[in-house]
Amino acid sequence: MEEKKLRQYDFITAVGLILFSVWELSQALKMPMKESYGGVQSEWYVSPALLPMIIGGGLMLLGAILLVNAIRTGGAASFIEAVKNSGKIKVTEPTRRVVTVVFAFVSFIYLMIPNVDFFLSISLFLFYISTSFYPERDDFRKKMTLQFIIGMGVLLILITTGLDDVLKGILSYNVDILALLFLIYLNIYSRIQARKMDIARKTIRQVTLISLIVPLILCPLFRYFLLVPLPVEGGIIKLMNLVYYAVR
Amino acid sequence: MGFLEPLQIFFMSIVGLVANPVNILILFGSVIMGIIFGATPGLTATLGVALLTTLTYGMDVSTAMVALMGIYVGGVYGGSYTAVLVNIPGTAASAATALDGYPLARKGQAGRALGLTTTASAIGTVIGMVFVVMLSPVISALALEFTSFEFFLLALFGIVISGTLTSQDLVYKGWIAGLIGLFLATIGRDSLQFFPRYTFGMSELEGGLDLVPVLIGAFGIPQIMQTIRDNFKISETSEFKKILPEWKTIGKNIPTILRSSLIGVGIGAVPGIGEDIAGWVSYGTAKKASKHPEEFGKGAVEAVIATETANNSCIGGAMIPLLNLGIPGSPPAAMLLGAFMLHGIQPGPMLNIDRPTFVLEITAILLLASIAMWVSGIFLSKQVVKVLKVPTSLFMPIIAVLCVIGSYALGMRVFNLYLMLPIGILAYFLSEMKYPIAPLIIGVILGDMCDQNLRRALMVSQGSFMPVFQRPVSLVLILVIAILIAGQIPAFQRFQVRVKEGVVSLFKKKEKSADNA
Repeated sequence: MEEKKLRQYDFITAVGLILFSVWELSQALKMPMKESYGGVQSEWYVSPALLPMIIGGGLMLLGAILLVNAIRTGGAASFIEAVKNSGKIKVTEPTRRVVTVVFAFVSFIYLMIPNVDFFLSISLFLFYISTSFYPERDDFRKKMTLQFIIGMGVLLILITTGLDDVLKGILSYNVDILALLFLIYLNIYSRIQARKMDIARKTIRQVTLISLIVPLILCPLFRYFLLVPLPVEGGIIKLMNLVYYAVR
Repeated sequence: MGFLEPLQIFFMSIVGLVANPVNILILFGSVIMGIIFGATPGLTATLGVALLTTLTYGMDVSTAMVALMGIYVGGVYGGSYTAVLVNIPGTAASAATALDGYPLARKGQAGRALGLTTTASAIGTVIGMVFVVMLSPVISALALEFTSFEFFLLALFGIVISGTLTSQDLVYKGWIAGLIGLFLATIGRDSLQFFPRYTFGMSELEGGLDLVPVLIGAFGIPQIMQTIRDNFKISETSEFKKILPEWKTIGKNIPTILRSSLIGVGIGAVPGIGEDIAGWVSYGTAKKASKHPEEFGKGAVEAVIATETANNSCIGGAMIPLLNLGIPGSPPAAMLLGAFMLHGIQPGPMLNIDRPTFVLEITAILLLASIAMWVSGIFLSKQVVKVLKVPTSLFMPIIAVLCVIGSYALGMRVFNLYLMLPIGILAYFLSEMKYPIAPLIIGVILGDMCDQNLRRALMVSQGSFMPVFQRPVSLVLILVIAILIAGQIPAFQRFQVRVKEGVVSLFKKKEKSADNA
């Protein structure tokens, strides 16, 4: 990162740090200092607030030093300038790539893992993130991301409205079935788009293989070898259980 | 214990480990995995140890330690592959190796360069191991004399020194990272009064943050994001027929090896610094001591040996404070601490009392790991290099999945994942803004030690800080901390310069008067 931008970020960070330390200290002041807690007469030096106060004080002091340095080195001025020209800011390609990765992670961790069969969660995550970056085509990545956003949106609506519980009465593993259908749809969609964009067929084939083989190795490894119950054991994991206990 | 008994335990440990073919398989497997992790840009020894920790959950302690030490040793050495072959250090530890390793490869001596890095790394690891054996009883015995004030100051020293030495921009950015780590460590019920701190009424936070998800988040997620963001690709690697051990060259460079090993062990023993700094310091020292410093940067064999010996001897150095004080000497050692705890081992001064043979077992494993690393390096390098051809856009998502499943599996809590990602994103932005991550991790690890010991010490002294100035170890620590902090104040820096100039001019005056006489 260039010096000017670094100092600009230092300015923002310093303000954030000072605000954070104020909050941290205010929370620490709510902790027992001299009064009795849990039958124990507290003194300032055994108070649970002691270390938080030191941390808060330290962060405030260092935040202030950082702020002074940022102002002195032109960080504040360049920040004000950046705010004025905020309309002209262009989102760079690396930033878009980072956002894509974060979005994939957020969907995977907060949406899929708690609600969808673990095998399918891994498979969907791997398929989306690999097809986004492996072909090295930004237009292809954008198309895949749009489809993934729609898919995740549907999943979010199902879960937040409680529709999935209603559907469960009609059909078991409804979310898993939807996720599986979505995975198949993504696969077909990516192949069609790849053909249109002259992306080698092999690319999508490799991604498909990886997105199936990796969970096929990891899920049994953790479930049967390390005896770790998986977050959501839906349709696919239940099927694995049937096979495993029948063979064993 | 006498002199012979530890030796007996050491060799018995080796025999016990070698007698089991499963251990040998695991040892070679983990070393090779470590080499792959080290050689792949974006993956590190720390991440390797983190991910393997999950898989060792079901193993017995000895086998788990074989796997973890194997991947650690392999991971630190593996970085030299890409450093030599494509001028891209696989890990920060091998950054200095690239300066002369790559020019050697360009001269058509890639095999020779890799032979040197392999042998130097193995020797460095063994020398580091010797120091672990020699220094552990001394440090352990000394640590048993420590009171709560010493432990508090030791933890504080660890955070301050790692912040000071790892910061690439402003020094206090390292301290800020350390304080953020300390804050993260205060989350949960405190261990003395069980008062809930910063839990927001969430029962999941009452037990505090699990160490492994925090470590995986802080080290794994930023690397995945950076590698994918930069669309990293390895170009054509330099060709080599076979790797030669180069014993003759190694023999000629014994002084360099010894000096670099001492540097590596010394830097490794300082909390949270790590192998990369050891490599750079060793490189600089080798250049200063060399008869031909002009050759450095053009393919100097001496430089390659110096950096690789230092970064691998750093492993032994990092193990010394980890085993005897419970303070990790490097980021991978921090990960190892989490693994130790997972297997019911509490590193610290009591380790030699609770498990008298454990340190010797670890050193035996280190020796075996260095042999396995050398054998793998000499005979399997061509196969390992093939792995580098796998595109990172395919490789990194798999690592991401491993990070997620690893964070979940250790506590079997989905909540750990909810924590891992924000910590990972925070670590990514912090590292982008030139805040070092190592102090943050050291802060998380040593936070509880800081909190408990400070309050316990003040409880004993009735709120007085006087004992700090009455005990030699704590007095030294507080002075070092004060100097480290004051060293960043411009007025103090000017005062230091004036003192230096005064001392120099005094010596010059004395020399002049002696000459006149």
